[in-house]
Amino acid sequence: MKIALSKENILGLIALALFVVMTIIAPGFLSAENINNMMFQLPEFGLLALGMMVVIITGGIDLSITYTAALSGVSIAMMQSHGYPMMISILVGILIGLACGFMNGFIVTRIGVSPILVTLGTMILFEGVILSITKGNSISGFSDWYNLIGNGYYLGLIPLSMIIFIFFAVVTSVLLGKTYWGRCVYMIGSNSVASLFSGINTSRVILKVYLYASFLAAISAIIMTSRYNTAKVDLGSSYLLQSVAAAVLGGTEIQGGYGKVVGTVYAVMIFQILSNGLNLLEVPRTIVNVIMGAILIAVLVINFAKTKLGNKDRMQVTS
Amino acid sequence: MKSIMKKEASIAVIIIILSIVLSFINPVFLTIDNILDILKGNVVLGILAMGMTLVIITGGIDVSVAAVTTAVCVVIGKLLVMVPDHIGALFLLLVIACLLGIILGGINGFLVSKIEIPAIVVTLGTMSMINGIVLYVTNGQYLNSTDFPKVFLKFSNIKILGVSILIWLFFLIAILTWFLLKHTVMGREILAIGGNKESALRVGINFNKVQIFVFAYMGFLAGIAAIAQISYTKAVDPNGLSGLELSVIAAVVLGGTNIMGGRGTVIGTILGVLLLGIIQNGLILARIDIFWQKVVVGLIILLAVSYDHIQYKRAQAQLSRIEIDS
Amino acid sequence: MKKLKFFVSLLFLFGLLAGCVSQNSATSNKSANNGQASETKNDANGKLKIAVVPKLVGIPYFNAAEKGALQAGKDLGVDVIYTGPTEADAAQQVKIIEDLISQKVDVIAVAPNDPASLTPVLKKAKEQGIKVIDWDTPADQSIVELSIHQIDDEIYGRHIAKTLIEKIGTDKGEIAILTGGLSAANLNAWIDAAKKELEENYPGIKLVTDKIATDEKQQVAYQKTLDLIKSYPNLKGIMAFSTPAPLGAAQAIQEKGLQNKITVVGTALPKDSKPFLEDQSLDVAILWEPNKLGYLTVALAKDLVEGKKPQDGQNIDNVGKIEVKEDGKTVIMGPPTDFTAENAGNYDF
Repeated sequence: MKIALSKENILGLIALALFVVMTIIAPGFLSAENINNMMFQLPEFGLLALGMMVVIITGGIDLSITYTAALSGVSIAMMQSHGYPMMISILVGILIGLACGFMNGFIVTRIGVSPILVTLGTMILFEGVILSITKGNSISGFSDWYNLIGNGYYLGLIPLSMIIFIFFAVVTSVLLGKTYWGRCVYMIGSNSVASLFSGINTSRVILKVYLYASFLAAISAIIMTSRYNTAKVDLGSSYLLQSVAAAVLGGTEIQGGYGKVVGTVYAVMIFQILSNGLNLLEVPRTIVNVIMGAILIAVLVINFAKTKLGNKDRMQVTS
Repeated sequence: MKSIMKKEASIAVIIIILSIVLSFINPVFLTIDNILDILKGNVVLGILAMGMTLVIITGGIDVSVAAVTTAVCVVIGKLLVMVPDHIGALFLLLVIACLLGIILGGINGFLVSKIEIPAIVVTLGTMSMINGIVLYVTNGQYLNSTDFPKVFLKFSNIKILGVSILIWLFFLIAILTWFLLKHTVMGREILAIGGNKESALRVGINFNKVQIFVFAYMGFLAGIAAIAQISYTKAVDPNGLSGLELSVIAAVVLGGTNIMGGRGTVIGTILGVLLLGIIQNGLILARIDIFWQKVVVGLIILLAVSYDHIQYKRAQAQLSRIEIDS
Repeated sequence: MKKLKFFVSLLFLFGLLAGCVSQNSATSNKSANNGQASETKNDANGKLKIAVVPKLVGIPYFNAAEKGALQAGKDLGVDVIYTGPTEADAAQQVKIIEDLISQKVDVIAVAPNDPASLTPVLKKAKEQGIKVIDWDTPADQSIVELSIHQIDDEIYGRHIAKTLIEKIGTDKGEIAILTGGLSAANLNAWIDAAKKELEENYPGIKLVTDKIATDEKQQVAYQKTLDLIKSYPNLKGIMAFSTPAPLGAAQAIQEKGLQNKITVVGTALPKDSKPFLEDQSLDVAILWEPNKLGYLTVALAKDLVEGKKPQDGQNIDNVGKIEVKEDGKTVIMGPPTDFTAENAGNYDF
């Protein structure tokens, strides 16, 4: 019983340890500005990672997630720069994001093509659509109100975008843990054939998974466009493999069936603390990538060692 | 057995249709010169796709291929500047490239099999590490052919029967992979594990050994691909291959290899590589508006995979109908 | 019912959020301003800290600029931090600048990947008392105090077009344009200027297709050029923008032995393009000297903190005479340099 630490708790401890280490060695890490910085930087990536996690739990993957975000970001920017009110353009942006998700979900469930292929195709497709709309130019011209979403503070303390992220993290956690849909998501991930035979409408559930992922991508797009004051074809494109990495670092099984919001949130925090702290230490960016990769593998090795040890204990008890 | 070849057949159909359309739009497409250009331009992709086919058949994936190839390219590039202008040096470099690739691939294989980390995570991690180290060491510095030994440049320009040596190299690798998969014990074990891991284990197949083998083989091919890449571009660009891993995986899966493992053929992968190559080549030949090119590529990929799957479903439905009838 | 409740509470929450946001970003600005006073004191005992942020690190062009910037740091006795994203991604660049603000540097000189995306973060830097300038590519002009251009975009683009026509030897024929990426603002500016030059002065020149993207990769440029040669057999010339593109184009020309038929002019570094210049597959590489640009950026940043404004015709050590536009803040390093087979060996970048 001593080793009752779950995967998620270990990650939490690692995040905490990193935080303490950075506080000690990185000058200015603990300053109010820097903490605010990190809180502004985290949500957009966190939301994408959450979306990716939900898809991975079903055993799929969504390679088009960043271009979905970019497409809805670009449409919001287009609407606003043409003078449509903020709320309507946000709504349209979300709807376009959902349409992208629907396209993925539809091809995956109705035609039955494997998710990696579908989303690879739609990734290139969405990128092409954005290019043909924008001709590669970036689009800006947001209202001041809109800029507050990504840059404003809530009650003068916490960045609004952080609140949005926490809100959606909680929503995701509730949806996955407390609803019928959530239970189906896990069941499909661990054995889709068995869940189909036990009467679950798997294609409906999976369709909703892609819709939900694209919804989170659209929300992330709102934060990104507002924060960067622009929308462009490569909006957030560097988050694609990072979000997969964050989901898996957070303990999500890549084959599906397991994954927790808390784990992903911890993983996102670890990436954030590392990236920010190493920047403050003036470590070259290339080395930051090396360290991130090393941490990813190290954490999984720890998990492996832990389960091995746990198994041994259990073996001893039984013998 | 029939339905297995059906997958390859449907991609072949798509390639043929695409080719006919393209040659109507621009007759240049069907010239031998152009076809050789397409082949040569996709040798690196093709070689890597061969290794990836094996990895994916066992149910794994390797997103670090581009990074490994780049790493080997960079090391070989540094050595090329130093070695004497002698044919022996060339062979030595080839051996070093392969060994280096095998080591890097072996590390992936070790982590996947012994530490039981999912392949995508291991290779994501090694990709990020290798890329970081390569960029840190080289600082993105580009190496051009001025300092390369003459014998190397001569090697890359060799043509046999009017066909570049690189294309021959690709066919050699394809035949090797085909032979490995069809006619060796290891090949049968690879297919067995992908098909049904549990029963494969029960028959006494050493799962770890097979996994390490496929990743090491992948690394070996990455080493060869690195040589091909340097011969092709006659330069070493540490950023030149970024993003190639997705194309490699796409080619393999388009070629009918099941991403969950268990099935895949060398022929299918060659067709997948060809399809991607033809799409790329056709974009300019067909004079498609530059901003719409990506839309066209995405649509073709989606159509190809959907068409393939609908065919498959239809075949399945037919099968079950026959069963009921009889 | 449950669903309904859920959505009602959702709506309620959003309403709550929307109500409280606006007033508070103002208070936070105030607190930031308070912090500023204490910062300036910190600087008194140390060297000046000048952060130079390129579009991305790890490509030869920005490496050469780094050399110049660090050299200037040594010569002038200031601390130079040269850091940037590993991909040309606007989001990553914003994060790096935010981290630099936390580091309390004195000057941030940035080459924006996407100018508009940097506006909020540069505003924030300014509020914290950090001097903001741009280099290589202009940022939002209402924020920066200095804008250092390697070149006048208009003159540069026109010069490239003119050189191409000169080298082709006739002002009739078909040409094509290669570019690094469709969304690169500075490349687009040069291409537009080059096109204008062609339209105005060389009506006999026909552009066969819109600019072709090469993903900043030599190999892609090579393949696309092969396709171009086949599609348009009468092609006389290629203009290649972005540093890898001319190399790829030249390689294709070299391999097909078309040196005498197709002229290639592009924006490449001399060291990389030397082998192609020598066998005429690349006719001229036109660029500036990026190490000087890095040097100039740091030198002017230092002057700015010390309250010295750049003067038109002012001579900067190791760089040369600079040109300053009427607005007093747009600095132009000088005319472009033509690298040819004769002089390419003289440079070490």
